[in-house]
Amino acid sequence: MDSESHRKMADTMRKNLASNLVLIVAGMFLFFPLYAAAEFSLRNGADKTHGFAAYRWIFEQSGFAENIGITFRVTLLAVLLNLLIMVPTVTWLHLSGQRYKRVVEILTILPLIIPVVALATGAQLAMPEFMQNSVYELSFFYVVVAMPYTYRALDIGLSAHPLATLTNAARSLGASWLKTFTTVVAPTIRPSILAALFLMVALSLGEFTLAQLLHWSTFPVWVTNVSQQNIVGATALAIGSLFFAWILLFAFSFIGKKNSTIVTEEE
Amino acid sequence: MKQSTTNNVDVKGALANKGAFHGFFSPSPLPLLPLSLFFLIFFLWPIGALTGNAFKSNEGAFTFSNITMLFQDPYRLAFKNSITLGLISGLVGAIPGLAIAMAIEKQGSQTLKKFIASISGVLANTGGVPLAFMFLAAFGPAGLVISALKSVGIDLYGLGFTLFSFTGLVIVYAYFQIPIMVIVVTPALSSLRKEWKDSAANLGASKFQYWKKVGLPILMPSFFACYLLLFASAFSAFATARALTVGNIALVPLQIGSLVDGNVTINQANLGYALAFGMIVISLIAMIPYIWIQNRTAKWQTR
Amino acid sequence: MRAKRLVVAATSAAILASGLVLATGPAQAATNFCTVQNLQQAGGMDALVKAAKAEKELNIITVPRDWANYGEAIDLFSKAFGIKINDDNPEGSSAYEIQTIKTAPASKQPDVVDIGVSVLPDALGIGRKALFAPYKVATWNDIPSEWKDSNGLWYGDYYGLMAISYDASLPKAPTSIKALLTDPAFKGAFALSGDPTGSQQALMGLFAIAAANGGSATNIMPGIEALKAAKAAGNFVSVIGNSANYAAGAYKATITWDFNGPGAIASSAAAGKPLKFVIPSDVALQGTPYLQAINTKAPHCAAARLWEEFLYSQNIGKGSREFDAADAKLSGSKIFKMIMGGQNIWVAGAAHPITEAAMIKKKTIVNAPEGFAVPKTAKRVAPSPDQQADQKAIVVTEWPKL
Repeated sequence: MDSESHRKMADTMRKNLASNLVLIVAGMFLFFPLYAAAEFSLRNGADKTHGFAAYRWIFEQSGFAENIGITFRVTLLAVLLNLLIMVPTVTWLHLSGQRYKRVVEILTILPLIIPVVALATGAQLAMPEFMQNSVYELSFFYVVVAMPYTYRALDIGLSAHPLATLTNAARSLGASWLKTFTTVVAPTIRPSILAALFLMVALSLGEFTLAQLLHWSTFPVWVTNVSQQNIVGATALAIGSLFFAWILLFAFSFIGKKNSTIVTEEE
Repeated sequence: MKQSTTNNVDVKGALANKGAFHGFFSPSPLPLLPLSLFFLIFFLWPIGALTGNAFKSNEGAFTFSNITMLFQDPYRLAFKNSITLGLISGLVGAIPGLAIAMAIEKQGSQTLKKFIASISGVLANTGGVPLAFMFLAAFGPAGLVISALKSVGIDLYGLGFTLFSFTGLVIVYAYFQIPIMVIVVTPALSSLRKEWKDSAANLGASKFQYWKKVGLPILMPSFFACYLLLFASAFSAFATARALTVGNIALVPLQIGSLVDGNVTINQANLGYALAFGMIVISLIAMIPYIWIQNRTAKWQTR
Repeated sequence: MRAKRLVVAATSAAILASGLVLATGPAQAATNFCTVQNLQQAGGMDALVKAAKAEKELNIITVPRDWANYGEAIDLFSKAFGIKINDDNPEGSSAYEIQTIKTAPASKQPDVVDIGVSVLPDALGIGRKALFAPYKVATWNDIPSEWKDSNGLWYGDYYGLMAISYDASLPKAPTSIKALLTDPAFKGAFALSGDPTGSQQALMGLFAIAAANGGSATNIMPGIEALKAAKAAGNFVSVIGNSANYAAGAYKATITWDFNGPGAIASSAAAGKPLKFVIPSDVALQGTPYLQAINTKAPHCAAARLWEEFLYSQNIGKGSREFDAADAKLSGSKIFKMIMGGQNIWVAGAAHPITEAAMIKKKTIVNAPEGFAVPKTAKRVAPSPDQQADQKAIVVTEWPKL
């Protein structure tokens, strides 16, 4: 028995060693490019010192407030559109529309495989003039481009809970529609909604090609244009945004589960 | 993707009781209308217009000439290169991605899982000029890692390593392909119930036998589906390829860029649209097995 | 009583109305600046400036700030006339400019374009209306006749020569194209400025390499062969020779327009890298001039015409840094006379303005920046648009096989 437990221990250590090794090697591969770019972004120009000057640069450019404002408004509309269109539709699909799920799934994968250049060109060929004169046309296209991700986020989140059963149970226990929605449905789907909206915001903040080809100056477009003159600043911005996005996502992943009032199988 | 087996039974029961799902929760497809309209106007219509232009000559007449040009060099070469890049980059992303996902699954720590999930989410979206710059700063001819290795006597570039080649492109693509794989394969891994592993062990199976008879057969379809996703991602990547090459590797997205927006081949925008159409067709072909597999494996990923 | 009041009211109204008509008098025959074809038709510089100021904005397209010192032109024009300049896609191509005119909605149309010769046939449109509105600037007669349209639809603005830009940290300065590609001292140093199947500048660079290796404006293949050999020898790095890759150390030298010099040197210095420019001693590749034109669908017609007058002005005067608020209060024509003209702004950017010959004769030209002189040994090669068209087809098929 002793040799058996010894063998088991050695086995476990070997297994853990293998998986640890994989993680370490992967970590190094992913770390070095980030580190090298970060080091470059901290340089102070001709002298060999380092500092955070480049990180302040983008905030000091005139046009920062104007363009961030434009992107903010476009994002807000995109988020609203998602709430009004995606969330109810996916919820309905889970509750009563199972037979249409397959079709919708296939449709929502399409924006992933169509190059954005194609969408932009097609948009200019097809859309009527009055739509093309407003920057808010971007919001509508962003909802479409984000659809593969937002749909899946909502879908996976909703699948994790037996929503129909719960709703049915609440209803048969006498809860009114309002009570069911506020105490059963809403808390269940809130983490998924938040996840989908987060994806929408992330896409809008980084989307460049569509805005550029439709001749709009949004924050990402403005940043790219201004960055042509300052490589260090541009790199600082790229690294800074990566870091910021990661912090947000990481923090967000802790908040998600806590507020759920439904007891589920722990993953 | 994930579907609860208990849903169908209850829905039937609920449908029988009209009071349960009244109004908003009706069985008719009307609630699909907003999404369908949206999709139609802001996606299908522009794409339709684009496809129409792929079959037009410069004077506006219908023609197949743009499509037939796709089968000649350099466009044929570009399709060959792009498909090869997709296939290889898919593998280079899928296998390490799976290994990492399995390693994380084994470690079990919740914090580690959240850490990896958030990092993957961010890195999966890197690409283009920032990504190329990051790699140049680390592994370029004057990169930090290369210079460090040179100072201890190892001259990688002298030995023939270079980022500016097909291989270099595959290496850089791996930077976002691997995180994508980790993200999409984790749900499949977590659906491998621990109970199955325990039952197999109880019945006397070794680790190897478990994987051979139970684990891999269940995992394979999902792995293949995720691989197809990586293929589509590498196939259509544009900004990164442009940042790292100078047109010496013919790739379809780059050629579309040159035709539609370049200064050298002018007035051949419709050929560019035809190339885009070709890309859409190939991506669709890759997505069909993906959808079919996802439907089949939904059974195994129930809770 | 009521009727009387009505009559009084009506009469007063009529008097008022006629008074207004008299007061606004001649201006009632208001100039439609969208059809104005020269400064006389515009009613003089003062009238043009007034109308332009009223429009408040100017849409330009694909103009990088550090290209031929355009940044200075933009700043000076904005400051002097109080007109906001919107630049759509500064790094875009000439094809993008024409595509935009063809497809963009009215509010997004550019007022003026600065295009390469290669897109002109598409813009003029055989069998359909041209995209440009005719306009002849005040200095029209100083533009060489082969580089302007007789009706005023388009007109050349500046041209450049191909120069070698290199990092001062190289073991020695590359003075000729041939040496750059073959000398082992330049191993891992040379990159082409772009993809020659898409970038005009890269295509001209390839012509220069061809001319330095036995080719010519009618034979570009030796250029591709030379790069193949350079790749095997290790001198050629297959990455785009732009500022980002330069800052990352991916390459150390490239061939680019001389008028990109001053801007590139300045921004490299800011990133801590010492960049230098020199015209090669073996080949002086002269590019075809870029062309200016006013869009028929221009949303700001007067501003567009004022911009063109500004770009073709040969005046020597104040730059954007010297111009101050007091100057802005002067009349339109006075301001125009006292600011640096576009032609000289381009000279300061190491470009060759189209009216160069006339300016030298009239002695209205400023001094070019140091370091861009053409060596006497350099062979002048100037591929014409037709020659470029012929060789392009070869490049498109042969380049991906490098």
